[in-house]
Amino acid sequence: MGKFQTIDFYKPSKQTYQLLPFRFSRLNKNSIILTNLVGEYHITDNDTLNKFVNHDMSEEDDVYKDLRSKHFLVDDKSQIGKNLLSIKYRTKLARLSEFTSLHIFVISLRCEHSCPYCQVSRQSDDKVKFDMSKSVASKSIDLALKSPSKNIKIEFQGGEPLLNFSILKYIVEEAKARNTNKNLAFVIATNLAVITSEILDYCLLHDIHISTSLDGPKELHNKNRPRPGKNSYEKTIEGIKLSREKLGFDKVSALMTTTGASLKQVKSIVDEYLDLGFDGIFLRPLSPYGFAIKTKKFSEYTPQNWFDFYTEGLDYIIELNRQGIKFKEFYTSMILSKIFTFNDPGYVDLMSPSGVGIAAVLYNYDGNVFASDESRMLAEMGDNTFKLGNVIDNEYEEIFLSDALLDPLEESFAYSAPMCNDCAFENYCGADPVYHHAMKGDFLGRKPDSDFCFRNMSVFKYIFKKMESDSFVKDLFMKWAQ
Amino acid sequence: MERKLIISKNIYSLTTLKKAAYRYINIFSINFLEEDEAYTCILTFSEKCTDLKADYYSDDFKKEILDQDLREIIKAETEPTRNLILAHAFSKTGLVENG
Repeated sequence: MGKFQTIDFYKPSKQTYQLLPFRFSRLNKNSIILTNLVGEYHITDNDTLNKFVNHDMSEEDDVYKDLRSKHFLVDDKSQIGKNLLSIKYRTKLARLSEFTSLHIFVISLRCEHSCPYCQVSRQSDDKVKFDMSKSVASKSIDLALKSPSKNIKIEFQGGEPLLNFSILKYIVEEAKARNTNKNLAFVIATNLAVITSEILDYCLLHDIHISTSLDGPKELHNKNRPRPGKNSYEKTIEGIKLSREKLGFDKVSALMTTTGASLKQVKSIVDEYLDLGFDGIFLRPLSPYGFAIKTKKFSEYTPQNWFDFYTEGLDYIIELNRQGIKFKEFYTSMILSKIFTFNDPGYVDLMSPSGVGIAAVLYNYDGNVFASDESRMLAEMGDNTFKLGNVIDNEYEEIFLSDALLDPLEESFAYSAPMCNDCAFENYCGADPVYHHAMKGDFLGRKPDSDFCFRNMSVFKYIFKKMESDSFVKDLFMKWAQ
Repeated sequence: MERKLIISKNIYSLTTLKKAAYRYINIFSINFLEEDEAYTCILTFSEKCTDLKADYYSDDFKKEILDQDLREIIKAETEPTRNLILAHAFSKTGLVENG
């Protein structure tokens, strides 16, 4: 027997590692994404995955240290990995105890626009009965300030909320007066058609942000958003400029909605946003609610049509960045935040447990409380499934512990849903009980024929494909995630 | 239109087959028949489906069974660790006091 052990003695044994929980999904025929318990990912091939799972890998394999550092395995040198995973998991879910941050006040259903894709049942502007009253506003403020969240954003919606400006002022001033320990923020979702210097002076005084609708170039925007005078585009552009002059450039944001007419002009739409100095765009599909269903706008295009529109737009935006023009696609950015950070962007559609009630809640003009903006759109179609109560009749606890909220949250939870529970993208995805209820009649839906699942899976795979094939895109996307 | 697959019970579990089949719920319906040594899977496609597509999806289903089998292996090995990590993660939240 020699004095020293042979070199094989010091080589790690093949059986010394233990798998940590992970899931895998195929990106294409031989490319597989693995994600661990908290969404950290690794992309590999069939052979490597089989070798890894069968414990045929050793520390000498190039990929071994990578899998260990990303918590896909533990060995004698990395038992702390389990503790780190549990801390990361807790961090990731910490937001759940701090609900609800977005409070939507629908202060008027009146609107002077008549957009055929509108998801709200608009009322003509002479029907004062569709305005929020002071008593409903007062109770709604109390409920909003009762939320555990430290940060409370009050968003005024309609209809056109500026048509009930007196109640908007009442809510801003009362919320500020009654607030003792919250960080309050205000935003008005407005088409800007009736904005004035006086209104903007008030917004400046109370640090109120403006969010408007801009669907793209003049012809497209005016086609999508008819109003008397056929000048919605002109009014919006004028309003954006005036708002920026009064409030500052970064206090004004815009949101577009994709219609059938948008599909062939994504580059023009992006250019419109660029020309106006916006730093990004949300290539947002139509939702299956309200007028969008009645006018058949929703069925103008398929999920595949939207995905083609999105990818063309995203590719164009990437090329703009390659040329040195900084510009983002916001849906992609939110997903990237979920991929690369533990900060949840709080977007209702991309949360599991679902963001309804947790991320956002809505107080309707008549005092009815809904679990989300989409929930009241559904109610406008006669479906009150997601009505949580009424601000006059119900206390906070009755509203937020109601079965109308807890049942959809529990039943739609993606972590325990068939197919979602073994999907590698589950950490980045959401549960959308309102969408699935509207489309399929139950909170969960069957994922193989869910348009929601198709859209998100397609987007996730496209994001990884772009990052894996182009180092510039990976660097860019990591910046977007911040 | 139907396709019949015979799968050895010694190699794959019924859970694995069911999970694989769920992913094709929008493409075909399936009947499982249990015999001594095997499960017979009868895949029924809609009348609109072509032979070519039915063959393609039957093959794809077989590949999915392999993936699901691998998922079962991973789950069996990692489930105790996952439960431990989750219990630890929630141990300071008060959520498990009555658990």
